[in-house]
Amino acid sequence: MQRHSDVRGAVGSVREGVLASLALVPSVFVYGTVFGGLAVQAGLTAAQTLGMSVLVFAGASQFVAVPMLAGGAPALAIIMTTYVVNMRHYLMAATLAPAFRRFRRAWLFVIAHVINDESFAVAVARSQPPDPRVYVGSALAISGAFVGGVAVGVALGGLVERPERYGLDFAFPAVFLALVAVQLRRRTDWLVAVAAAVLAVTLSLVLGGSWHIVVAGLVVSAIGAAVLPVETPSTVDEPA
Amino acid sequence: MRSDVWFVIAGMAVATYLTRAPMFVALARGTLPPRVRLWLRLVPLAVLPALAVPLVLVRDARLVIGWAHPPLWGAVVVFVLAARGVNLLASVAIAVALVALLRALA
Repeated sequence: MQRHSDVRGAVGSVREGVLASLALVPSVFVYGTVFGGLAVQAGLTAAQTLGMSVLVFAGASQFVAVPMLAGGAPALAIIMTTYVVNMRHYLMAATLAPAFRRFRRAWLFVIAHVINDESFAVAVARSQPPDPRVYVGSALAISGAFVGGVAVGVALGGLVERPERYGLDFAFPAVFLALVAVQLRRRTDWLVAVAAAVLAVTLSLVLGGSWHIVVAGLVVSAIGAAVLPVETPSTVDEPA
Repeated sequence: MRSDVWFVIAGMAVATYLTRAPMFVALARGTLPPRVRLWLRLVPLAVLPALAVPLVLVRDARLVIGWAHPPLWGAVVVFVLAARGVNLLASVAIAVALVALLRALA
């Protein structure tokens, strides 16, 4: 009896996670559609675009990789840039991990793959510490919406000719700038963002290529973390 | 398209998994030092402008700054809209439409 109600409680929490994520599903779906369309426009095949979305499953870094792939950046530069863009997962993984203490190790390796900004936000906003089953339910909804959106985008993307005519090439920097804008909370955040931009532009003029992204990103954030005052947990636990 | 796309995707997948799994599996108890947490929060704040601003301002290893450069207007608009709390996709769509319009007028 006890066991039965445990299972029902678990299923209920997963469903709760799915329901709590429904508000985010349309925008994640559209985000996926935009990615699918732009990736196909840039020259990736449908299989490559979908494969990347399932295997990497990290939207921002995928948006970053596509123009680099199309522009002929070295493979290692793309992979390193992906790593640095996704380093924020360390923070989310560290915050979520204690809640999954009672899960089997094998499951942890599976659940780790679907760590994403939106589900993190949903789970952390619901309860502290986050309910692991709510998190799993949210990850199911978000990953389904993203991959489904990419599939639709792949189908539609081939229809647009000359994407720059519609300003679609500008969608990449626009997404990045919007993501920065919503993360600037403290005055020192501006300092970090502006310093990184100036260093990246300078390096890009001097070096060409695409290493300026990793170098400026790591150097400026590391200097910032070394010299800026450490914040209280309440200001760092919010999702990016 | 280049021939190493699948190789790059595999590398991206491994690199991304390394940002998710080790900490998640190992840190089932305990927390990160505050300065490491601060660094991890600052990384996207530094990487995203490092990506975006050269895409807007640099072309063929030369600085392109001028009011006749549509992406510059688009960049200002998307940044201001997103900072003011406008939905992310709406901000991007408006800026993209503006760039398309300015190009059509030029």
